[in-house]
Amino acid sequence: MSTARENIFSSIRSALAPLPSRTPRPEIPPGAAEPCWLDRSADKMALFVQRAEATGTRCFTDPSACADWLRTQNVSKVCVPGPLERLKSLCGAFAEVVDTYRRADVDDIDAAFTPAAGAIAESGSIILSDESTPDRLAALAPWHHIALVSRSEIHLTIADALAAHPDDPNVIWVTGPSKTADVEGILIQGVHGPGAQACLIV
Amino acid sequence: MPEQKVELFARRLDPGVQKAVHDNSAAGTLKRYSILGGDYDTPDELRRLAGQIRQHSIEHLDTYLEQAEKSLHRHGAHVHFAVTAEDACQAVSGILERAGARKVVKSKSMISEEIHLNDHLATRGIESVETDLGEYIIQIDGDHPSHIVKPIIHKNRRDIARSFEREGLGDYNDDPETITRRARSFMRRKYLEADAGITGANFVSAESGRLVLVTNEGNSRFCLAAPRVHIALVGIEKVIPSDADLAVLLNLLGRSATGQQLTVYTEFINGPALTGRPSGPREMHVIFVDNRRSEILASDCREILRCIRCGACLNVCPVYRQASGHAYRSVYPGPVGAVLSPLLAGKKFKELADLPKASSLCGACNEVCPVDIPIPDLLLKLRNRGHEEHAPSPGTPPMGAFAMLASSPLLWRAAMQGSRAMNLVPLDKLPLPYLQPWLKTRTLPEWRGGSFRRWMKSRHSR
Amino acid sequence: MTISSRPAGRSVQLMATCLCDAFFDSVAKATVEVLEHAGCDIEFPENQTCCGQPAFNCGDWPASREVMRHTVKVFEGEKPVVVPSGSCAAMLFHGAVLEFEKETDLPAVKHLASRSWELADFLVNGLGIQSWPGRFPARIAFHRACHTRGTGSGDAALQLLQSIQGLEVVPFGEAEQCCGFGGTFSVSFPHVSSSMGCLKLEHITAGNPDFVVSGDMSCLMHLGGLAERSGKPVKPLHFAQILQSALHTHA
Repeated sequence: MSTARENIFSSIRSALAPLPSRTPRPEIPPGAAEPCWLDRSADKMALFVQRAEATGTRCFTDPSACADWLRTQNVSKVCVPGPLERLKSLCGAFAEVVDTYRRADVDDIDAAFTPAAGAIAESGSIILSDESTPDRLAALAPWHHIALVSRSEIHLTIADALAAHPDDPNVIWVTGPSKTADVEGILIQGVHGPGAQACLIV
Repeated sequence: MPEQKVELFARRLDPGVQKAVHDNSAAGTLKRYSILGGDYDTPDELRRLAGQIRQHSIEHLDTYLEQAEKSLHRHGAHVHFAVTAEDACQAVSGILERAGARKVVKSKSMISEEIHLNDHLATRGIESVETDLGEYIIQIDGDHPSHIVKPIIHKNRRDIARSFEREGLGDYNDDPETITRRARSFMRRKYLEADAGITGANFVSAESGRLVLVTNEGNSRFCLAAPRVHIALVGIEKVIPSDADLAVLLNLLGRSATGQQLTVYTEFINGPALTGRPSGPREMHVIFVDNRRSEILASDCREILRCIRCGACLNVCPVYRQASGHAYRSVYPGPVGAVLSPLLAGKKFKELADLPKASSLCGACNEVCPVDIPIPDLLLKLRNRGHEEHAPSPGTPPMGAFAMLASSPLLWRAAMQGSRAMNLVPLDKLPLPYLQPWLKTRTLPEWRGGSFRRWMKSRHSR
Repeated sequence: MTISSRPAGRSVQLMATCLCDAFFDSVAKATVEVLEHAGCDIEFPENQTCCGQPAFNCGDWPASREVMRHTVKVFEGEKPVVVPSGSCAAMLFHGAVLEFEKETDLPAVKHLASRSWELADFLVNGLGIQSWPGRFPARIAFHRACHTRGTGSGDAALQLLQSIQGLEVVPFGEAEQCCGFGGTFSVSFPHVSSSMGCLKLEHITAGNPDFVVSGDMSCLMHLGGLAERSGKPVKPLHFAQILQSALHTHA
């Protein structure tokens, strides 16, 4: 045991000892943090699409519509992992397709598809995890990122998503494209992460 | 007459900077109002619930911190403790040196500002690059953040364009989009070269050990994607009981800070990356830093440890809007800083004991606080402590004579009546030195001391 | 403290406040007439001075407690204590309790706190008065005094004002912002305080109201003083003065 650890715990204990009583843990009523407009019987997918679009995430349900969008974006090199043959051939019609993301290609790959662990309807967020999305860089470095979200893995609320957290050392919720307002409060998209965030619901 | 330091700073502040700070803050306040009001029927109830969660957490910090430590161990993270700022810096450089790391990318972390980590790493020959756009600009300018969430609120695009030109990031160009793109391509190299990524944490769940990080730019994610070592610096007060509490806290944090339901990236980390993955750290270190937090926990201002660093109190504060963040001469500006900074100063409390006075006690900070911290009460307690410790307070009139007068009714009534003589003296000749600056911009009504009392008496004798 | 726990009978003690004692006798008189119209029997303890807030805000709590102990003695009894100032009322029901937290006479201070009412809060939430008779043909900007945040006072005053015939309330920007007075703050931070005040006046005068109205003469003394010095055409009025004027038209 380090001394620093012991010092800190002993300072904390002596700071708390004189308190006549301690604040009890509040009960969090179910739905306490849900927005008032949330309809619990809403169609999760419809709500997800609505909220995601509102935060700037494009939603597709049809792979060819998604590929068409990438084509209009003048994408030249696309990473499509694993056995997604249909997407590979759709993208192959206008761009070079690779199936693994390599660091050396960081400047060349301008779009990447990665599987997601799920999504959150209430906030329009995409959920990625190490298990579902093996390469963190692939989902972050290209200008266009398209998450593959399975319709059955859309949670209704933030609270639901927290309760169902995948057992994974790294989970990230992505709510729209990367952005900043650091310069004079002006909103600019695509700072470090994707400037165009999309999802393909499968 | 000597002036209050915040007053002096505000008086000398460039009017352009003051307007930028005011307008940006006012816009932030409006966004917060509209999203919280639009999304919740009773946002104050949610704030109070969040306040209770945080108060409960800090009052059970011994239990939760230990639990968080165990949970992190279980997931393969290394946990360290640092009593002082210096210990924390040493812990970081020690880990980096053991890992053979010479290049570091850093995502925004208030505690790293608090412990002056970058200065320390520079002395060890370790390159540390701030990756948040605002913090990067602060770093290349050798400046300090002036807002918790918007570090360069005091700079305009022309300042930034000149800094980028100076740093060789291209010819002068003050278009915000161009500035951002240049930072993007510069930072890419830095991420890919870096051996380690350093982050803070917004919350730590004791139950799962998950550190929660929220950002909009995606820089913290990059710090945890390319480098092989992750070091997280975490104030001990950041611990909360469980992931379920995050539903309340996250829903308030984004809305209070930037008017967003959630920030773009909300990341949960409790260990190194899964094995065999092409990106993500192989090693994760969490350093829990005390740096006088346990001292604050022992004080009667412990409520300030609830703070989740959203910056809403800065945005709404009329004094912050006039004075800007640097007026507070410390890492944490605004109302929260006026409480936290003197407390974090320890033995140097007196040097910052003027900060709690830089407030009209209007209470707007408490009204917007997502964890309902009674900031005005804490400011008042610290004013009292400053008085007890004889901290200098220029411009504050002594109160002894007032107290004597106000507890002696006969004298009081005589003074009320007698001060009518004031009406005969021109205002600028009134022998009241503390009042003269007041009278420069304001008139004073006619002194009518005793009039009401006479009227009241005459009614009763009618 | 919940509102219902405070006594609300019609036999009251009036704390006129030191500002009304010194400058604004007209406001104190208006308060008396308003309370009398509401059927109150008013006791004015002659030995009253000040609530001690100046010393409290300066951090000189021993000095402030000395004044508060005097005030507690002056306002003995069980009657509601009514104050035509949000800030002095807040000193009685909140500030005093804070500065006496570690003192043995805390119970006496709490007793006074539990009987203290800001005027509008008392009229509406204490006595249940929902509207006010008479006319007051004017456009007013209503500044919610900061010390009434989180209390029923602001809404109460506005409710009464809006029920008066001919009175129009003009909204203005950044309404949640402080006027910059802050008691001794305005003395120690004259530049910041005046800048805040000028900004407030800019917002208020944008709607071109005839009067700026509040429940706190301290805000109004500062705003009125700034307006007069800078030639901004807006006159300060305490809401009790409007209620009083309206009563005269009614009679």
